[in-house]
Amino acid sequence: MKRRDFLGAMAIGAASARVGRVRWPRSADYFLIPMDEAQAEHLKAYGVTFRLLERGGRGEWLLNYRSGAFLLPADAGTQRDAALAGVTVEPISAGQADQIRAEIAGTNADAVPLEKAPKVAVYVTPGAAPWDDAVTMALQYAGIKFEKLWDAEVIADKLPTYDWLHLHHEDFTGQYSKFYMNYAGAPWLREMVEVNGVTARRLGFANVPAAKKAVAERIRGFVERGGFLFAMCTATETLDLALAAHETDIAASYADNTPMDPGASARLDWNHAFAFTGAQLEASPTVPQFSDIDGHQVNSLGRRQPLGSFTLFEFSAKIDPVNTMLIQNHRQVIPDFYGLTTSFNKNRIKPGATVLADEPGAPWAKYLHGELGQGTYTFFGGHDPEDPQHAIGDAPTDLSLHPHSPGYRLILNNVLFPAAKKKELKT
Amino acid sequence: MLAIALALLSPCLLAAQRPQPPASQVSPLQRAFDLERRGTYAEAASAYRAVLRADSADQTALLGLERSLAAIDRTATMLPEVRTALAAKPSPVLYALALRVWSAAGEPDSVRATVERWAGTEADRVVPYREWGDLLLQRRDLSGAKRAYLAGRTASGEPATLSAELAQVAQLQGDYATSAAEWLLAQRLSPGYRSTAIGALTQTPDPQRPAVLRVLAPESGGEGAFIAAVLLAQWGDPLKGAEYLRRSLATPGEGARQGTASIAAFVEQVRALGTRDARRALGEALELLAERQGGAAVARTRLEAARAYADAGAPADAHRMLALIGQDRNASGDLASQAVRTLLEVQIAGGELPEAERTLAEQGDRIPPEDRANLRRRLAVAWMRKGELDRAAAHIDADSTVDGAALAGRLSLLRGDLRGARSYFQQAGPYAGSRTESTDRTALLALIQPIEADSLPALGAAMQALERGDTLSAIAGLDRAAEGLDPKAGGAQLGLFAAQLSGARGDAADAEKRFKVVAATEVPATAPAAELDLARLLLRLNRPREAMAQLEHLILTYPRSALVPQARRLMDEARGAIPST
Repeated sequence: MKRRDFLGAMAIGAASARVGRVRWPRSADYFLIPMDEAQAEHLKAYGVTFRLLERGGRGEWLLNYRSGAFLLPADAGTQRDAALAGVTVEPISAGQADQIRAEIAGTNADAVPLEKAPKVAVYVTPGAAPWDDAVTMALQYAGIKFEKLWDAEVIADKLPTYDWLHLHHEDFTGQYSKFYMNYAGAPWLREMVEVNGVTARRLGFANVPAAKKAVAERIRGFVERGGFLFAMCTATETLDLALAAHETDIAASYADNTPMDPGASARLDWNHAFAFTGAQLEASPTVPQFSDIDGHQVNSLGRRQPLGSFTLFEFSAKIDPVNTMLIQNHRQVIPDFYGLTTSFNKNRIKPGATVLADEPGAPWAKYLHGELGQGTYTFFGGHDPEDPQHAIGDAPTDLSLHPHSPGYRLILNNVLFPAAKKKELKT
Repeated sequence: MLAIALALLSPCLLAAQRPQPPASQVSPLQRAFDLERRGTYAEAASAYRAVLRADSADQTALLGLERSLAAIDRTATMLPEVRTALAAKPSPVLYALALRVWSAAGEPDSVRATVERWAGTEADRVVPYREWGDLLLQRRDLSGAKRAYLAGRTASGEPATLSAELAQVAQLQGDYATSAAEWLLAQRLSPGYRSTAIGALTQTPDPQRPAVLRVLAPESGGEGAFIAAVLLAQWGDPLKGAEYLRRSLATPGEGARQGTASIAAFVEQVRALGTRDARRALGEALELLAERQGGAAVARTRLEAARAYADAGAPADAHRMLALIGQDRNASGDLASQAVRTLLEVQIAGGELPEAERTLAEQGDRIPPEDRANLRRRLAVAWMRKGELDRAAAHIDADSTVDGAALAGRLSLLRGDLRGARSYFQQAGPYAGSRTESTDRTALLALIQPIEADSLPALGAAMQALERGDTLSAIAGLDRAAEGLDPKAGGAQLGLFAAQLSGARGDAADAEKRFKVVAATEVPATAPAAELDLARLLLRLNRPREAMAQLEHLILTYPRSALVPQARRLMDEARGAIPST
């Protein structure tokens, strides 16, 4: 720390102690929200930035500067919001902001303007507890507004009214996550089967797999027309399987009264999928796995792979700001976590998709990003970054115990990245 | 590194170099097994079919084919193989397989025909019907399973046949009364069903419980009374349960035959429950158990019964048990000592303090010194609660332990001697008593710490009222004590305590008013605490917006308060951002 900065910080501390209230020096023009180890509430920092944009304000995302810091105007609303959320804020002058920008110009960093809060939708079964979904938890913890929608809204073409859509552990093959056999009789499964069946019939589909395929098509169309899609856990794998199977029966007989087409794997149309290609389907209705896209196969005891750690890749902030935004973090190596789909075998990833994180030495990737039409998609394997071996019925994750969670930061990077103003790429 | 890799690889290389049997020497069945083990189910199915072409009734191949086809959801395609095998060499294994295959093929008429054909060949005609019902149960066809089991019952001519299965079906259908009736029938077949029946019926939803009890007819005693006894213990009426237990034991039948085991099973159920009624029911059951025991076990059981009665607030029954122990020649010295201790506990808990003092004086030497000191402290607390401070002091004057110091501090506080209280509480430190007592003591120390006076009789009187459980007088006393104090010198602290007491006794309006007064004083030590408590109160009153405003005010006004993290957490909980604790 430079001496002048140190004296400045001392002065702020003294003033606060004397007055006993949150006060900043009058000379502050900006609030720098550091996202390195100095930050006390990493996850809520995204919420403070998001709400500034909601209020019509603008900010900057300082990519690769202090682990992805935010530079916001020093207004009273942000000051109050940060204090309430416990987010660490450093008041700085316009001169100090210029110094930061100069530093950014000379390094692999960039300042991306943040202009408009995206309208966020979460695809979730009606009545699902918020604790079932890492993204819902992250959004609620950070205080980012979102709306919930499900099959009826998607089929009614409501998706174009949103900028950003999140899918979690929905099974788009319509096989109830293939829990049908192993959890037969469990009340939650009975309810899931009932709700899905009734909805599919009400929407005019013969069965749940047919309804889910139609939903997957609408989601694809949403991205093609410029939407931002973020999917985790099973939604990643099954969305692509449902899209690739638009002409093929890949559902077990319990789901649609006919067994899977025995030659289904060979008949899949991968040109229609987002990120994956050439996968072999799991033919057994009793094995709760869908294909060989997932590297970890957590629910298949003979095939299950142990958890390691995944490493975030580095990108050029000035040339490749989108991928850089998605990997902003104060940790480069993050402990892995299981989900029904934990990871993505690299030999099943399309060449056009960008791997954002993988486990060094392992054949799988963890975090992917790609473009489709005018939109983009990001796939993140696993269920809950702070509950690595999540099981049905486990106690919900309390994010106030994980305010620095690097895994959850990756989720929130995705929420904020649609707010960034698009820049011409420097070539 | 390379060397390690080679060392690890070498066994594999050696294994690879070992001569393998030529493919022609591997039997077709072995080949099919290998393919199945590798997970190539379609190829495995073909290999099993090749075996069956040579021997159509090879059961190993047929079962392998079933496994492989099930893995790829194509079981129904083995119908031809099953028909051929059944025609060639029918057996129970093949009949069971045929049921599964026809069921997978969705041919219920063929399934029924196979069951009837199979039943005609079996000595135990029930087996095919049980297989049939189990199969339908696996497919969650509850009404079909029920029909199958009932058909088996009719075929057997015995009204209790397949009752355990039918009980389970009825439960899955949500019909607990029928389930109870079937479980009673199942008891006739085997008493081993008792714990399963209890475990299943315990889950009966509230609205169906009266119907289940009607079916069990506990008034007439017998096994139904015993099951009802345990169920009632689980469902929150252990006293009624104990009554049914007695009826069950008095009626000839399984309950009476199992006698001691039945009581022990009931005792296990009620022992885990912490309610007053459960403790009384436990005492009654233990008393029944003691009547059926002999030797030293009798005194031990009665002692436990006495403790249970004492916990239940039934000192007369506890005394009765202890008196019986006194007359028991088989009771050991250790047991007699425990009986004296229990008697003292009963007397103290029952407010019989002079009697407890007499017991202590006459028989105190029969219990170990540490227990005796502990009982003296409990006696002192009981006198304190009655306001007899001198009599309380008499029991702890010679107590030099940290627990004694903690109690002396409490006594000093009741006398309004703040200087003495501070000194004793500091001597006691954080280790005296339980964690709760330690926390309470710290809170009391925090309460009197800012007060500059050495003595404040008004506060002592308020604390005495609190000790007696008279919260209303305690609040009024705290108000009087606070009147002469500067808010910063303890006045605000006493105001906060009075507000907390008011909230605890359920007077939300008064508590809210009091918290607001303390919050407005802006005394840094108490105002944030008052704001936090006020926010909690407002949330309880379902006024979340006001609570959030209060919490925001706390965080923004006292950003350095140690309570800010708690305030943020409460905000997160209130807006549903984190699970409630």
